[in-house]
Amino acid sequence: MKSLNGIMFAEMVQMGSHHLYQNADYVDALNVFPVPDGDTGTNMNLSMSSGAKETESNVQEHIGKTAEALSKGLLMGARGNSGVILSQLFRGFGKFIVNEKELTAQKLAEALQHGVETAYKAVMKPVEGTILTVAKDAAAKAVELSKTEDDIIVLFEGVVTEAKASLERTPDLLPILKEVGVVDSGGQGLVYVYEGFLACLKGEQLPEKHVHDSMDDLVSAEHHKTIAGFMDTSDIEFGYCTEFMVKFEEGKKEFNEASFRSDLSQYGDSLLVISDDEIAKIHIHSEEPGKVLTYGQDYGSLISMKIENMRQQHTDIVGEGYKKNKPQADVKHPYAVVTVAMGEGIAELLRSIGAAYVIEGGQTMNPSTEDIVNAIKSVDAERVLILPNNKNIIMAAEQAAQVLDIEAAVVPTKDVPQGMSAILAFNPNASVEDNKKAMSRASEHVKSGSVTFAVRDTSIDGIEIKKDDFMGISQGKIVIADTSLDTVTKELAKKLIDDESEIVTILYGEDVTEEDASNLGEFIESLNDEVEVEIHNGKQPLYPYIIAVE
Amino acid sequence: MSIELKNEYGQIDISNDVIAQIAGGAAIECYGIVGMATKHQIRDGLTDILRKENFAKGVIVRQVESDLIIDMYVIISYGTKISEVAYQVQSKVKYTVNKTLGMPVKAVNIYVQGVRVTNS
Repeated sequence: MKSLNGIMFAEMVQMGSHHLYQNADYVDALNVFPVPDGDTGTNMNLSMSSGAKETESNVQEHIGKTAEALSKGLLMGARGNSGVILSQLFRGFGKFIVNEKELTAQKLAEALQHGVETAYKAVMKPVEGTILTVAKDAAAKAVELSKTEDDIIVLFEGVVTEAKASLERTPDLLPILKEVGVVDSGGQGLVYVYEGFLACLKGEQLPEKHVHDSMDDLVSAEHHKTIAGFMDTSDIEFGYCTEFMVKFEEGKKEFNEASFRSDLSQYGDSLLVISDDEIAKIHIHSEEPGKVLTYGQDYGSLISMKIENMRQQHTDIVGEGYKKNKPQADVKHPYAVVTVAMGEGIAELLRSIGAAYVIEGGQTMNPSTEDIVNAIKSVDAERVLILPNNKNIIMAAEQAAQVLDIEAAVVPTKDVPQGMSAILAFNPNASVEDNKKAMSRASEHVKSGSVTFAVRDTSIDGIEIKKDDFMGISQGKIVIADTSLDTVTKELAKKLIDDESEIVTILYGEDVTEEDASNLGEFIESLNDEVEVEIHNGKQPLYPYIIAVE
Repeated sequence: MSIELKNEYGQIDISNDVIAQIAGGAAIECYGIVGMATKHQIRDGLTDILRKENFAKGVIVRQVESDLIIDMYVIISYGTKISEVAYQVQSKVKYTVNKTLGMPVKAVNIYVQGVRVTNS
């Protein structure tokens, strides 16, 4: 496309406005600057809608006239800081092209640049890392491209790409954004408008609603508002940060987002709901997380729940500053072992034998690829070995290894005992490849067993298991199930320990006393008096015992 | 004049000038604000925009009983929606003063003393 007229431009404005409208909630949630009141999206949407309405009723082939209508509509409807800035951007844009019938790529780029100049003039002290920066970078890109490019679509594609990149850079310019872990809300709004423009130019449809795979940005923005609002721990009214997902099921209550939201909002604040046809993700601060979960169950089954006590966290933050965010990354590890485990005691044990970072996670809480990547980045490693310690995490670990641009390899450990043996075999002077081989070999030597309990009645490998029965698992297979923890543990120990066993490590969970654990140790010594027994408090949930035999 | 706060360890005095500086600093970061103006344009003979060290002339901090009231004399960019810019200044000043001094602001009154045309 070589030229742009008023009719096409009017359509672009409609689409930009519509796309912003669709995502206004998301923009609201990102709003932490200048005042964290969560209205940027609403304000920008109202401003842009006003502009779009005025444009719609004044569509002319003459683009200068159409742009003038947009500028007027935006000015009249401007709401909020970002709305006013948006109106200035298009005021400068419109003024520059007021006598143009059609725009070439060069004119369009100049007009964008002019809009930015006008917008910057209306403020004494521009704050960078906001919508202004995003507009400036995008316009600069347009000017640069217009020197060699005549096609408007190609040019605008460059503009959108640069706007997005600039948006990603906003946290580097505005410290509050980085602290909270979000991008600038106004900048995000502008990106939505530009995305709408581009889609219209290309004749494409935009997805009706952006379902974000991750609520992380939203959750951290909500938390920032909460923390900023409370000076004192005792001011917290809703004490539990509750996050969960509901998978909708047939025969359960029909899901309706509006009524779902209004029902949930009576249980607390900071409510976020994101849903598609199959699943809804919920975040809420509530004093009664139990009731919230029960309500969620009316719609289907619950998956991946997380409940945190915010009073406790707030005390930690107020008392110790923000240490919590970066607990383990004080020291740099150029050659690091990063692993996954559940339970404070186990994490400590793994660190003591050489893990640089232990990601919290395991059977019921698999860390994502992103979690693993972030952990590795935080230790600033140049070379890294990843031990997933669970067969469900191996995939995520492999992906993380591919994403990283440093040398990385995964040692496919399936449980904590394997992970421990692998770490002990780590040689900081050997290459990543050699370490991977040596550590994998070491991890295969260990025999591992664990004791846990059944969540439902079932029959596996010919063993009848009732709900809440304890199960002994040896090398990934269930070998025994019984109502008595003692019986199960002892039977499991008998299976694991033979004449060749030398060292037995027992990690006992948070529900087991030290005394019980040492009784088990004595029992194991009675089976084979050659073995050496080591007992550690793993503090892991769900697994009363994890046993490693070498 | 100053704002006095008392707590268990003793007394804290925050002078009105300090509050004026904070409020003025917050205001000029607001989009659409091109400067602060003095309250008494003729008496002070400063028809132009105030410099940073003179902010206090354009920001009057008052206490009425125990309430804190801030009057601000501002110059806004021509071509912006003036009512909206003024509202943004109120919201930002109230928020900033509240956060940095920990004291609530009863009112932020905005007096638009001029609009400046930026030649484009």
